[in-house]
Amino acid sequence: MSFLDTKPGVPLLESDDLVRHYEVNRGLGKPSAMVKALDGVSFTLESQKTLAVVGESGCGKSTLGRQLTLIEKPTSGALKLNGNEVGDLSDKDAKQFRRTVQMIFQNPYGSLNPRKKVGQILAEPVLLNMDNLGRKEREERVRATMAKVGLRPEFYQRYPHMFSGGQRQRIAIARALILEPKVIVADEPVSALDVSVQAQVLNLMMDLQEEMNVAYVFISHDLSVVRHIADDVMVMYLGRVAEKGPTEEIFAKPLHPYTRALLASAPKIDPTQRVKAEPLTGELPSPINPPSGCAFHKRCPFATEECAKVRPELRNFEGREVACHRVEEIA
Amino acid sequence: MALLEVKNLTVEFGSEDKPFRAVDSVSYSVDRGEVLGIVGESGSGKSVSSLAVMGLIDFPGRVTADALTFDGQDLLNMPAKRRRQITGKDIAMIFQDPMSALNPCFTVEAQIMEALKVHEGGNKKQRRERTLDLLNQVGIPDPKSRMTAYPHQLSGGMSQRIVIAMAIACNPRLLIADEPTTALDVTIQAQIIDLLLKLQEDSDMGLLLITHDLALVSEAANRIQVMYAGQLFESGPADSIFAAPRHPYTQALLEALPERSEGHDRLRTIPGVVPGQYDRPAGCLLAPRCRYANDQCLKARPEVTDFNGRDVRCFYPLNDQGQPTGMATGETVL
Repeated sequence: MSFLDTKPGVPLLESDDLVRHYEVNRGLGKPSAMVKALDGVSFTLESQKTLAVVGESGCGKSTLGRQLTLIEKPTSGALKLNGNEVGDLSDKDAKQFRRTVQMIFQNPYGSLNPRKKVGQILAEPVLLNMDNLGRKEREERVRATMAKVGLRPEFYQRYPHMFSGGQRQRIAIARALILEPKVIVADEPVSALDVSVQAQVLNLMMDLQEEMNVAYVFISHDLSVVRHIADDVMVMYLGRVAEKGPTEEIFAKPLHPYTRALLASAPKIDPTQRVKAEPLTGELPSPINPPSGCAFHKRCPFATEECAKVRPELRNFEGREVACHRVEEIA
Repeated sequence: MALLEVKNLTVEFGSEDKPFRAVDSVSYSVDRGEVLGIVGESGSGKSVSSLAVMGLIDFPGRVTADALTFDGQDLLNMPAKRRRQITGKDIAMIFQDPMSALNPCFTVEAQIMEALKVHEGGNKKQRRERTLDLLNQVGIPDPKSRMTAYPHQLSGGMSQRIVIAMAIACNPRLLIADEPTTALDVTIQAQIIDLLLKLQEDSDMGLLLITHDLALVSEAANRIQVMYAGQLFESGPADSIFAAPRHPYTQALLEALPERSEGHDRLRTIPGVVPGQYDRPAGCLLAPRCRYANDQCLKARPEVTDFNGRDVRCFYPLNDQGQPTGMATGETVL
């Protein structure tokens, strides 16, 4: 399994110009249209780091999560694990890949099978992927993982409906961890939880990262959570990357007008700390029929004629990557 | 006199002899032109209490209160017909999920005109004009063409604007907004909150803003109430309640926010979960999760008391330094 071996100097997970288009029918007689859910996204993820993907609903962040875990095959572009292309793996190799890249889903009320007990839910990935383990060893592994995420041993025989949201999310985390993956793609793991429980789950995720050396792709819309947990942030808008860089720098000085607007829109406990910026007007445009030029230009306070015509590409600016024509002037 | 006066409102479900109290003697008042924010985690009874004000608690739920008055009129003991004339007209409500608050089978126009027909009357032409007016007011682009749109053709933010238009159709004097932005993105959330506050200011409405988002209420509300497991834990002016929380729960809730843990490795958490129907503790409802709780907290339930001009339900309200007061020195903190 050469592609699973880590190589020094090679990023753990790398995506190069990843594209995912969906074909949609628009009714009888009309030509079908393309939804460009993901339109050329590149990033690298080092081991034991956290990359946060931020954006409004419809920006393609969940689609990205589905490509990274090979739940769907990307339309084009390359996805590399340890420098090896994994887009066209055989089924057998893809199974190995999925062992290494696991996923936590958003809604813990929908992602656990209500007819299976916690023990069975957690044993399933082991049963499918580690067939050399006997029944007893399997149970031991399940119990050890349960202990790791803070689930009491007696929960082994209980059904998901007997748990609160926070505990269900712990079960989901345990399920993702049980195969000892290198990467976990967490799609809005705390958005369905209350503040006090959210803090518990975030702490758990950070503890586990240190303990088990996993890297996270943390998909979220909540900027304050992202600021706390992520090393790098990637801001997405309509299937493309608007800005990408180290978390502290992005929060200290957002460069892209969209990043600024996102930060300004988020309410602050202490209103004096609020980032001053014009509130955004309008909504996310349709990905079937995206605006010409920069997808953001219709909502952008800095937009010029050039923005309406030419699509800005990601380029380096002050150690960050920004897709904006006027970044020099704005900064 | 306050616009809405709620005194010891209690909502119970389940059997008479073993009732479950979803809301436990909650009191508050909303004035004209005032924004009252109610915050709490899920299961705190914040939604149920507002449904009770609207008269939307059905059998087997039981609503009792020492007083539930709107503009001096007793809402609980008035004939149902009279109450229906008030709710929907003078008291209007915005629900959490705009996608499910609208009827998918009718156009936007038909749904707003229905509310107008019931409460205002007038002929169809007048009602249509008023609807167009309302859509303009809530900032819907190209309102004329949206009149005949069905809910599925609208985005979440747009649907919420329609729901708001419907709520303000009859010029209510009190608007109850139950998690109006939870289902929306941050940029849209900012737009909707700005819209609500503008409408509230323009017509001098009272606004009851119910949410789980502490930052949101601190920006929008004049006064804030913190609820937990059906009880009122703390209430006070917005600018001071988060600067110097008096109740350990408010303090812990603020500390659990990622914003408050900047530079720290881990977040401060509140251990455990909100007690449910069957595991409510005998003493203070927070006691098993409270970092300051002692024996008294585990045995007896505190009442709401006045502490430095703030209503607090705690035996040992916190001082400005965030330390509990009134506790005997050297007492063991569990």
